Amino acid sequence: MSDINNYSVLGRIGEGAHGLVFKARHLPTGREVALKKILIKNLEDGIPVNVMREIKALQLLRCKYVIKLYDMFPRGMSLVLVLEYMCSGLWEMLHHNQQEMTLPRVKTYVQMLLKGTRYLHAHYVMHRDLKPANLLINHEGILKIADLGLARLYWPDGGRPYSHQVATRWYRAPELLYGARYYSEKVDIWAVGCIIAEMITKQPLFAGESDIEQLAIVLQRLGTPTEETWPRHSELPDYHKITFPESSPMPWPDLLPGVDADAIDLIKSIIIYDEQKRISAKEAIRHAWFQTRPLPATLEDMPRPKSKTK
Amino acid sequence: MFSTSSQRKFWTFSDETELASHREKHNLEFIAKHGHHIEEYQRYNFFLSPEEERLLLKQYELHLKEFCKRFMPPMPKGVVGTAFHYFKRFYLYNSTMDYHPKEILATCVYLACKVEEFNVSINQFVANIKGDREKASDIILNNELLLMQQLNYHLTIHNPFRPVEGFLIDIKTRCSLANPERLRGGIDEFLEKVFLTDGCLLYAPSQIALAAVLHAASKEQENLDSYVTDMLFHDAGSDKLATLIEAVRKIRSMVKMVESPARERVRVIEKKLDRCRNQENNPDSEIYKRRMREALDEDDMLQTGSGRMSLDTSGITQVLSPSAS
Repeated sequence: MSDINNYSVLGRIGEGAHGLVFKARHLPTGREVALKKILIKNLEDGIPVNVMREIKALQLLRCKYVIKLYDMFPRGMSLVLVLEYMCSGLWEMLHHNQQEMTLPRVKTYVQMLLKGTRYLHAHYVMHRDLKPANLLINHEGILKIADLGLARLYWPDGGRPYSHQVATRWYRAPELLYGARYYSEKVDIWAVGCIIAEMITKQPLFAGESDIEQLAIVLQRLGTPTEETWPRHSELPDYHKITFPESSPMPWPDLLPGVDADAIDLIKSIIIYDEQKRISAKEAIRHAWFQTRPLPATLEDMPRPKSKTK
Repeated sequence: MFSTSSQRKFWTFSDETELASHREKHNLEFIAKHGHHIEEYQRYNFFLSPEEERLLLKQYELHLKEFCKRFMPPMPKGVVGTAFHYFKRFYLYNSTMDYHPKEILATCVYLACKVEEFNVSINQFVANIKGDREKASDIILNNELLLMQQLNYHLTIHNPFRPVEGFLIDIKTRCSLANPERLRGGIDEFLEKVFLTDGCLLYAPSQIALAAVLHAASKEQENLDSYVTDMLFHDAGSDKLATLIEAVRKIRSMVKMVESPARERVRVIEKKLDRCRNQENNPDSEIYKRRMREALDEDDMLQTGSGRMSLDTSGITQVLSPSAS
């Protein structure tokens, strides 16, 4: 049975929603890992549902672009998850290493993100909280999707309602902002679209300070939804709770100044009200943007973050 | 997918002998560990025998079924099926003398609620339990991690309910059977009983589902044999068909054999268990209470330890992966 004695703890690397995250070495293999400790003793309802979801999802998934769960063990009143160690993340790249985020490299990160997303969706898992802080980067420069605490299985027939209280605001799809309970994996695609734009421009695409402002910004940029651009949007739970001033859609070159036409074409096939028309991860991977110059960087040309703890 | 699941790989066994040998092993281990002060020939006067453990667990499986049936808010079938899987898996590798089935039962249902996304709070949950609810909630929460560990963290369960839906759709589209919906009553009744057998530890969910469908059809005086041979297994080899027919026959006969244990016997076993159970795991014992306190303390120590460690790595404070909201 695995336990803490198999690991030598090297340092603390962060704080998750339910406890601390440590960097450690797995002594039998010498492999570096992240130990995510989930404190259970003060939790009203025991082990959080988010943790169950994360375990279930990670056990199911085996993909180069999704973080791996190696093992788990109890420790006192805590549960410790042993995860693949990732020394950096897209959030850090965007905030501290902007100059390294050249267009070829951005294209490669986007390809990695899309491949990971395609894999999740092929296994009927929606992540529901894609954002730069949940996209981690390892020492080889590979980007992986992490933090599947909101991930859940979905049925393609769409017969079950889900919570709309998901996704971090800036990356939240408009149907979620309007309180939709029946939605699809396309909420992840919207988030991917926002992240692509942010990687290119180094600015969040829609940065609302509140849920209402978030919706106001999206509507102001994309224009007031119509029955044609967004079928049945007026039936969404929160649609009648608030009205916004009428606006017409802003041209994409104004929204994304200086961004090349192929990139705009990709983003605008994602950032669409109607989830049916929003392209899938599978389709996005084939987009012309990845075939036009500058071509995506090779793995050798990707930044290799250094470990921060010794 | 079941074919690549942990359920198939780790929790589907070849036959009843294999199940019995796991169970007997843990019965013997418990007695060897706790019975050295008792003469060999007297041990089963004091401890439960493997047969007694089986009877007791059968009784508790009936309790589990009733508990779920009465649960408010009404519980989806998937939660019940998952709870049964957990309960059976737990006692393949543990003795009832180590962990009392009434405590594990509640914990299994609670964990199944979470895993199947049937979201009830612990307070809502224990409102369904008679007696001291605060104590019940302590026991459940204390056992949750133990249960997960004993399940080897294999939380995802493939139940027969979805394959049943698949068969019904298939029958509607490819079969001449009139009004397949009338099979539902018979199917549900059969599946309820299947969980009182070892069926789900021996057969694939689709095999169990098919057994239920065929059973329900025969109750309606219908025969779906040609659907199975000519449609489902049209392109498969005859050996595959033979395996399936044997599985279905076996599942149906297991269900036919289901019976409640005699009340008087169970009463005697329960009394015996009160005396021979491992006091370390009895929430009413002093030794249990002391152990819980120690676990809390150990955890505090680990926290202090980590605090010290964070000094060594000061400056690294960024949050690597905060969750939403």
